[in-house]
Amino acid sequence: MSEPITNDAGAVTPRSAFLRGARELMPAWPGIFAWGLVTGVAMVKSGLSVTAATVLSLLAYAGSAQLAALPLMAAFAPIWLVTLTAVTVNLRFVVYSVLTRRHFAHLGAQRRVWLGYLVGDIMFVRFTAMIEREPHYPHRVHYYFGGAIANWVLWQISSIIGIFTATTIPTSWGLELAGTLTLVALLVPLCASRPVLAGVVVAAVVSVLAHDVPMRLGLLLAIALGVAAAFAVERARSAP
Amino acid sequence: MIEPYVWWAILGITFATFLSRSSLHLLGNRLQIPPTLESALRYAPACALAAILVPDLVFAGGQLDLSLDNPRWLAGIVSAVIFAANRSMIASISGGMAVFWLIRAVHGG
Repeated sequence: MSEPITNDAGAVTPRSAFLRGARELMPAWPGIFAWGLVTGVAMVKSGLSVTAATVLSLLAYAGSAQLAALPLMAAFAPIWLVTLTAVTVNLRFVVYSVLTRRHFAHLGAQRRVWLGYLVGDIMFVRFTAMIEREPHYPHRVHYYFGGAIANWVLWQISSIIGIFTATTIPTSWGLELAGTLTLVALLVPLCASRPVLAGVVVAAVVSVLAHDVPMRLGLLLAIALGVAAAFAVERARSAP
Repeated sequence: MIEPYVWWAILGITFATFLSRSSLHLLGNRLQIPPTLESALRYAPACALAAILVPDLVFAGGQLDLSLDNPRWLAGIVSAVIFAANRSMIASISGGMAVFWLIRAVHGG
């Protein structure tokens, strides 16, 4: 963010790109907030101390991986199993980084580590949609950091509120559903083509059938078969 | 939970975060992926979202439950319809939550 800021009307500056990223994340705030709150509550209710829960939230910044690890930690599962489960739940981020790395490859190593750490589902979908609409948008790195940092701040605030109010928020409210519904709203616009629709249906069915496979490997299987189905439909349609 | 165990577990989960999110960014363009695979991977984000959220909606207490005792799946459908109709995330999330709470209140869940 050291580039000079110009004030020409309509010109994209690093600052305006950063603010636009933050602004385009904001419609998702109720989902992010509810999900962070629920994750904070769940960590403390599973037996983590307030300190441990706060440190875990700040370091890992991974809602679904944290939630997946909690029952294992409560059962004193081996550390390698806890780690592997978190890796499996986070594997979609590997794919996200494959699909976005060319936009960030020119940055220094330290910045790349930070932007990787800050990736979330919402900002990934926003970022790729924006690049598709505006392939020559300048300062895309600032746009990304604007949304990703806004997401991080919202998440950490809500998570820490959850940690400190865990005993007063009943789980019967079902607040965690708001997080899942955010993903629904993210997924709907992606389903605009037949290959994606086929992949989504296959991934959904497999994820339900393979729900009880340990280490969340069913998730991995569902993604792999979904991608294969989508690709097969794409090939079948483009074949003469 | 016992203290040293908890800290080792937190370290493990943090390691998982960095491994999955940042390691490929560190390789950058040095990582070569076959173009066919990279083009197929365009479908992975949508598949991953579906594989994460669908079980969340249809399982209750470890059991597949598509009755009104588990209104989450219905809330998911309502959310999707609202979003498809007016592209508003806030309307979609709050509409789904409203349906969820309403059915639970009426159905006595």
